[in-house]
Amino acid sequence: MLRYNLSTVLLLLAAFLVQQFVPAFMGLSHSRILIVHLVFLCAAVTVATPTMLLLAFIGGTLWDAHCSLAPITADPEVYTQPIESLRFGYSILLFAAMGFLMQGLKPIFRQGKWQFSALLTGVAIFLYLSAEFILISFVRGDFTVTRSIIRLLFYTSLLTMLFSPLVFWLLYKLANLFDYSLYPEANKPKRK
Amino acid sequence: MKPLNLIALILFLAGATWALTRSESVVREIQVAYFKVIGPTLTVGSALETKARALLEETRHSKELETKLSAIEGEIGRLRILESRYDDLERENNELRHALDFKKATNFDVVAAQIIRRHPTTWWQTMEIDAGEDQGIGIQLSVLSNDGLVGIIDRPFKNRSSVLLITDEKCQVSVRVEGSPEVGILSGQRGRFDNNPTLRLRFLSKDAALRPGQRVFTTGRGGIFQPNILVGNIISVEKGPLDSEALVAPAVNLSDLGTVFVVLSETN
Repeated sequence: MLRYNLSTVLLLLAAFLVQQFVPAFMGLSHSRILIVHLVFLCAAVTVATPTMLLLAFIGGTLWDAHCSLAPITADPEVYTQPIESLRFGYSILLFAAMGFLMQGLKPIFRQGKWQFSALLTGVAIFLYLSAEFILISFVRGDFTVTRSIIRLLFYTSLLTMLFSPLVFWLLYKLANLFDYSLYPEANKPKRK
Repeated sequence: MKPLNLIALILFLAGATWALTRSESVVREIQVAYFKVIGPTLTVGSALETKARALLEETRHSKELETKLSAIEGEIGRLRILESRYDDLERENNELRHALDFKKATNFDVVAAQIIRRHPTTWWQTMEIDAGEDQGIGIQLSVLSNDGLVGIIDRPFKNRSSVLLITDEKCQVSVRVEGSPEVGILSGQRGRFDNNPTLRLRFLSKDAALRPGQRVFTTGRGGIFQPNILVGNIISVEKGPLDSEALVAPAVNLSDLGTVFVVLSETN
């Protein structure tokens, strides 16, 4: 189990490298495949809560290191209304929240029904991006949802979700390699 | 709740609080370390992205040519392909000459850089260029193209920098409208992921007499941008009870940028 947990951490780190190769789809409202989030969400349903929280911490910290903007220091007499950014570290909490959401389907996943978890990754990505957008709107004010935002949320969730079977397959292979059972309930005889 | 889960949750919350309370300098150190580790991958990734974009462009052009070929047969079709290739080369040649002229004619001490990645983040309008601290680039320097203002340096690293584009809501520019006394603050609009994003010019006077097509230039106030850099053209004006706002089309086609110039300092 320890070796499998360690392998999920390494897989998450590898996802950060793979993410660099995935460009935004400019024709689809700049939507993208969020490999890092997908690996985290899929791994979250296969591990215990402490490991999921560790993955959320690593994933959130590195994601913010990847994305966060520097503050702009300009003359406040000219720029009277500076635009704030989200604080470094907010993604850690969002990752954890989505991880707990994924763990809600853990009993079904343990029975071997990974398809429901695969669908839930799409929902989780949608909620993650929506929460991010709401946080940005809260910090900056003026909550406006445009059609291109809806398209960005939808296409990003859909495109990312389509790759979830591949990530589950990878996790399954890793679990086999390290003698860890992803579906312990599936092999148990059913009660009459 | 199991004791182990409770301990893990407490440790997690402590870690999250630690991250959320880090100062800007610590965040920068974390980012420098992160990009140092993924740097080599980033270079390969950028090269692949450039190739993929070129391939997509090529595919699009091929389809256009295919339509033409269906109408014209044989030799004419072949000549048209050759002609289109010649046009591409000529356009590229003109662009490079234009860029060279820009560098010679400008009053700024600039560093030329190539774009290596576009929009690497989800919500922010940013791009990455292949010049950084080693080329003398620092934080909050203006980035221009030969058509006008592109944005500012957000984070410089050793050999690359991220640029916050003018289409991002966070990039505010103090501007004036040509042929009028109007000045205001220009910024991008949140959640606009269109191919032709517009900018919002705020804090104009209540009765601003502006017309579509008027050019918008930087004022040079505020300590970030140099004065008299072209930013865009007025598209429309909306008059409110207290002030007016205008929509501005960026002068630079941000979806078709190759070379940009980072302004290091103003020269005489």
